[in-house]
Amino acid sequence: MVLELRNAKKTFGEGNTLVEALKETNFLVERGELVAVIGPSGSGKSTFLTVAGGLQSPSEGQVMINGKELSQLNEKQRSKIRLQEIGFILQASNLVPFLTVDQQLELLNKVKKNNMSPVEKKQLYEDLGITKLHKKYPSDLSGGERQRVAIAKALFSNSSIILADEPTASLDSDRAFEVMELLQHETKSKQTATIVVTHDTRLMKYFDKVYKMTDGVLELDTTIYE
Amino acid sequence: MFLAWSEIKRNKLRFLLITSILLLVSFLVFFLSGLANGLASMNREAVDNWDADAIVLTEESDKSLYQSSLDKDLADELGAKETAVVSQMGSIANNGDAKKNVLLFGINKEEFITPKVSEGDPTFYVQNGVVASDALKDDGFKIGDTLELSSSDTKLTIVGFTEKARFNAASILYMKLNDLQKIKFGESYEMNKDMVNAIIIKDSKWNELDIPKDTEIIKAETFIENLPGYTEQNLTVTYMIYFLFVISAAIVAIFLYVLTVQKISMFGLMKAQGISSSYLAKSVVAQTFILALIGVVLGFGLTLLAGSFLPSAVPVQFDLTAMLIYGLVLIAVSIAGAVISVWTIIRIDPLEAIGG
Repeated sequence: MVLELRNAKKTFGEGNTLVEALKETNFLVERGELVAVIGPSGSGKSTFLTVAGGLQSPSEGQVMINGKELSQLNEKQRSKIRLQEIGFILQASNLVPFLTVDQQLELLNKVKKNNMSPVEKKQLYEDLGITKLHKKYPSDLSGGERQRVAIAKALFSNSSIILADEPTASLDSDRAFEVMELLQHETKSKQTATIVVTHDTRLMKYFDKVYKMTDGVLELDTTIYE
Repeated sequence: MFLAWSEIKRNKLRFLLITSILLLVSFLVFFLSGLANGLASMNREAVDNWDADAIVLTEESDKSLYQSSLDKDLADELGAKETAVVSQMGSIANNGDAKKNVLLFGINKEEFITPKVSEGDPTFYVQNGVVASDALKDDGFKIGDTLELSSSDTKLTIVGFTEKARFNAASILYMKLNDLQKIKFGESYEMNKDMVNAIIIKDSKWNELDIPKDTEIIKAETFIENLPGYTEQNLTVTYMIYFLFVISAAIVAIFLYVLTVQKISMFGLMKAQGISSSYLAKSVVAQTFILALIGVVLGFGLTLLAGSFLPSAVPVQFDLTAMLIYGLVLIAVSIAGAVISVWTIIRIDPLEAIGG
């Protein structure tokens, strides 16, 4: 087990203004699993992502990452866990504007250990088709290229969990499929747990499980394969 | 350092602007420190050159050399290790080409304040011969010049020059005590010939000396501080320098804050990925340090360069130790200016960057 939510709940406000953004949720991703979370906007996907990713503590219940109980930790400790255990691929481009593609990854070498070796990195660049871009700045890249670099960054850190928020949003179908195949391959070969929040129904064939989020309730969705 | 330097390289123009402001501020600070030093020298270099410990003046003179008048025999009665008497008179010296405000200092040449002659005859060999401050050379005075005085018919002859002989912003002409007393008192010379302005003391235990009731003995430094205008002038320039420190801290603070605010979402995303606030804060501090260091070093070079082109009339005299200290203070206050940005970074909520 890599990521587990036990009776986790996230509420905002009090009394009459109380909003249950995430209703009581039980969720489990094992190593080597590629999981999708789908749902309309405003359904609570983002809240789920931030709670699962250790960006905020649940109001009730527990979040376990690699056996560590997150809700007991303060922001500084959670920050450390995020750095070591989680690779984020975010909708907002999470690239640093004044760093080249190479430097984006170099930055990770500065702040944490156990990243990919130079050889692995070279292979990763090839898999993502960004070898030629390594000296470019984000402003010189297209939306799709930026997204691929963001994915490279998440994979480079050898995290045990990958949290991806709409990773294929700015990619054409071919690229989207390639990226999903890469995520699938990494998930299986590195035995990571990958959670993808997406709208994109073209991708469903890649997932081991699909969860559906409706009004703060997360449920396993079996209808998607029909 | 990695983030700091990468960002500077990527956004050269932005950082060039702030560095150039720091350069100008440090230039001004260095220049003012040179001016403060130069102005102070104009007032005190003669006294510093005497290497005296204390000075005896009449009490009613209120520490002013000009207003003090005492009997020179007092020098022997004090029992100090070394003493020197000074009789002083202000005048305008005219060599036919140039006129200059000077101070005539009548001294006994066997006493310790007698100037070391750097150029010319080391003895006051002629009657009314003077050893002049070498600052007068810049005004066109030469050895052998005959000087007319504004207040007397007596003519003086420059027999030599000495270094570091300015007092209260005027050049000193050292001469034999008796020659001066004759000029100073004219017809009443006989009655006043023993009256001098001050007795200079060289004795580390000067405060144990027994002095007559109507006189006072003060430390050489106290004497200098009480020179007309000296302390006021010094304080003015010093306040200007201190104010520049505040200004540079404020400029750096504002600039960095604006840059930081622009990058809030970027910092938020980095924090979301687990990069610690302290790493980001260190990067901002490192950046400030790099910019301040470059600005101060360039300002230092520019100051020395500008200094070499200055006409000698500008009383700027660079003191490298003082400049080094001011430079370090500038870098320190610049880094202090980064504090607001550091605080802003610490307060950024990574959650908001993700839009959770």
